[in-house]
Amino acid sequence: MSSREKILGRLRAAQKPFTDIPPVTQPRHMVPDVVDMGPAELQARFMAELELLGCTIYRPSDNQDALDHIIAHIGDAKQVLSWDDAHLPVTGLSAALKEASIDVMPFNDGEAYVGITGADAALAATGSVIVSSGAGKFRTASLLPDIHIAIVDANKLVADFETWIANQREQGLSAFRESSNTTIITGPSKTADIAQILIKGAHGPRKLHVVLVNAAVS
Amino acid sequence: MQVNSNNFVSLAEIAIHNPELQDAVSDGTRRAYDKRANSMFADSNEQGEAMRHQAFEAKRRALRNLPDLLEKAESNLLSNGFKVLWAVDADEANRQVQAILKDHEASTVIKSKSMLTEEIGLNHILEDSDIRVVETDLGEYIIQLNNEPPSHIVAPVIHKTKAEIRDIFIREINMEYTDDAGEMVAYARKMLRRDFLNADVGISGGNFIIAETGSLGLVMNEGNGRMCTTMPNVHIALVGIEKVIENLEDYATLDQVLTRSGTGQNLTVYTNIINGPSRESEVDGPDEVYVIFVDNGRSEVYGTKYTEALSCIRCGACQNACPVYRSVGGHAYGWVYGGPIGAVLTPLYTGLENATPLPHASSLCGSCKQVCPVDIDLPRMLLDLRYDLVHEKVDNKWQLGLRGWAMGMQSPLLYGMGAKAARMGQKLMGDNMPGVLGNWTEYRDFPDFAPKSFHEMWQDRQKGKLQ
Ligand code: SF4
Repeated sequence: MSSREKILGRLRAAQKPFTDIPPVTQPRHMVPDVVDMGPAELQARFMAELELLGCTIYRPSDNQDALDHIIAHIGDAKQVLSWDDAHLPVTGLSAALKEASIDVMPFNDGEAYVGITGADAALAATGSVIVSSGAGKFRTASLLPDIHIAIVDANKLVADFETWIANQREQGLSAFRESSNTTIITGPSKTADIAQILIKGAHGPRKLHVVLVNAAVS
Repeated sequence: MQVNSNNFVSLAEIAIHNPELQDAVSDGTRRAYDKRANSMFADSNEQGEAMRHQAFEAKRRALRNLPDLLEKAESNLLSNGFKVLWAVDADEANRQVQAILKDHEASTVIKSKSMLTEEIGLNHILEDSDIRVVETDLGEYIIQLNNEPPSHIVAPVIHKTKAEIRDIFIREINMEYTDDAGEMVAYARKMLRRDFLNADVGISGGNFIIAETGSLGLVMNEGNGRMCTTMPNVHIALVGIEKVIENLEDYATLDQVLTRSGTGQNLTVYTNIINGPSRESEVDGPDEVYVIFVDNGRSEVYGTKYTEALSCIRCGACQNACPVYRSVGGHAYGWVYGGPIGAVLTPLYTGLENATPLPHASSLCGSCKQVCPVDIDLPRMLLDLRYDLVHEKVDNKWQLGLRGWAMGMQSPLLYGMGAKAARMGQKLMGDNMPGVLGNWTEYRDFPDFAPKSFHEMWQDRQKGKLQ
């Protein structure tokens, strides 16, 4: 008998537990107050949560402002990892990088100081940015560098984790399963393993900078 | 990992006399306890309790259909491109990992924190076959350098002060003297970066397996887990069979109560959902991803009165809340899991006879159940384990001693022999008294019975024997 059959056999032979658990009802959201918020409120909440997490935010006035800001933010770092233009909610970033003599390095470069990604979605309740892997959207851009710049389209902002999941279900779970890796990023990498002292930048980026495009400017 | 739980009393004594450990554990657990309360009840107590209940139901629903759900998970994992293996016990799981490493001629393995791999003693097995195994979670890295097991489910090095950790770094990896925790972390980051870029295989555990979508859910803060599951060409996830849940909605519930109860965060920095190996169009990510479903004692617990122990999501909140854990730390429990959940899982997974003191390592104050995000009735199970200790004749020495007591107590006819029986009982059991006296004698010596009772002395005197 295979180990698989042995294990399943033992489980099937056992008395079935928890037969009194009721069927699922409409599950609650962990953070109830965001559920009914409109776009402006969601954006305000998203920005407030990002700040609590120690992230920085910039809301560019237009595409050129976004590009200028990103180049300025990269500063003296001459090497970056970046998603392809097609997956960023700004136009012409790779040309702008070239013009500023910033090299776009291959995905496995462990020295590049800045990583640039877009975002598939963002969560207001927790200040999270969601990146899923795919062609032109490699994982290391949000992982290896010291600084992660996430360019987020405000139109992709949703209330919370639960709402994002409901959207995946609505769009058909096969699209969700198509991506081999989805990561919900909530703040910069950190550790508190040394005597509970919070230190940012354990193994992933030490800073998360969000460039929020198409934002409502209040 | 070897089980040393029958030495709980002496291990606890060592811990109690270690002032650094006392400071570190009481400080760490107290802070974690407060963070959990603030986070779970951030909205309101009613909301926090409702979420606990929702999580309770999600996990119990999954366990109810465990065999079907495992099969469903397997078929969806396979269609996402995972390779799925099943291991009955530690030996088999270790052999499967070894075989995969051999196939890929791997010499360096990077690991993210996994209690299951501690359970099966994977690191030592691999090291014995000349594989370099690097723990990459900062806490795990520190204790690996110091050759110790973790002492807490979430914070493996909670028992050490900053100064102790600094000294380990200076001694083991030539760090220059610093008192700054930030510099220590930066140094570890630099040391581990090379391994992240060059390792052949990454090994992780798994917080959840989502049956409906065939996904592996992993949560972490440092990013080391993302490295282990992204950088090497092969990723192996070892997952207990009890980790499978129904769907993404349950994942959202369970993941959020896990992080709020464990570290007080709304979400951990990285909430990862892995749907198989890297697709053809991707430039990074592993080409092969294995999920090994490990049983190692779990199926024997399934269906018994201890089934609910399988719903544990390893948040560590019961450890932070437990007055016994707070004063002795995790190592005293003698195996992988310390605290209330450890006192339940150790006897269940390794055999009650190997962990006889653990069901008594509790004041039954009820804190553990109260903070548990899936409302596991730990005190009830500790009591049931105590009952089993007595009624399943687990420990002969213990049993004989008890019978000695019982004989003396039960029959008026045996009254005269009562004291003798008590003395006999004490001799047989040593200083660890059963039942109600168990807690008392864990930390105190039970007074010796007088060599002769007053009643016996009186009789001797009547017979003229007393000098
Ligand atoms: S028993 Fe409950 S509180 Fe303890 S680690 Fe498991 S889930 Fe957390």
